Amino acid sequence: MNMNSLETRLQQAKFAAWDAHLYLDTHPCDEEMMQLEEKYLCMADRLAREYEEKYGPLTARTGSGKEWLKAPWPWDNSGREC
Amino acid sequence: MWCYEKVLQYPINIKNPNPKAAQIIISQYGGPDGELGASLRYLSQRFSMPYPEIQGLLTDIGTEELGHLEMVGTLVYQLTKNLSVDEIKRAGFDKYFVDHTTGVYTTAASGWPYNAASFAVKGDILADMHENLAAEQKARVTYDNILRLVDDPDVCDVIKFLRAREVVHYQRFGEGLRIVTDKLNEKNFYAFNPSFDNCACRR
Repeated sequence: MNMNSLETRLQQAKFAAWDAHLYLDTHPCDEEMMQLEEKYLCMADRLAREYEEKYGPLTARTGSGKEWLKAPWPWDNSGREC
Repeated sequence: MWCYEKVLQYPINIKNPNPKAAQIIISQYGGPDGELGASLRYLSQRFSMPYPEIQGLLTDIGTEELGHLEMVGTLVYQLTKNLSVDEIKRAGFDKYFVDHTTGVYTTAASGWPYNAASFAVKGDILADMHENLAAEQKARVTYDNILRLVDDPDVCDVIKFLRAREVVHYQRFGEGLRIVTDKLNEKNFYAFNPSFDNCACRR
């Protein structure tokens, strides 16, 4: 895994935000965690926009047709950087 | 409603196909303690849950398990790429290949197709939460067993991530159970079933 690739950095930020989100399901009033989540969400959003600019849409809301359909799909590792 | 994001939760890049490993790992796709069963269990249980913390928890963990289902499918797909018929025969992968070629199918390592009988939705909050704690441990054990059987570091890295997530889910369900017991009658947890009896009170 390339720790520095844009995709990996995006996955890391999204994951951090997600894990915080899950924690907040059982600790709904934890202010500190809410702030951490906000921080990671901002990071993830910024990286997502950068990723989409380079590689294409990440969701149905950010792209359709040729742009949405273009390779690679997530399970396809041919031609990916390691 | 589900939104799909066109990126894996964790990177997967397998450089060496290995149909023997694929046959083992596929149990976390369609096996009794795999990710499909986990997602269906949680996403189904949430309908009869009376407390929002638990509705949220089951929705969120159930959703994450779908992402893991995608990851396990990806592992199987990448492990069975570019195989020669000779490799298929030597790995004993021919039994799967004859019915599915190198498609990804919801089966256990034994070849038994996915069976919903592997999970329960009891419609009782205590029973369901305990079911979920056990489910996460069973998934964790399955990943432990996979780690005993598979060597490739590219594969093991991903399996370790998935295993760690099961442990975190177990933690979250434990907290969920505590939240539930705090809300129940402190003298008798079984005095009523909040997944059912609250509705009865309205009549």
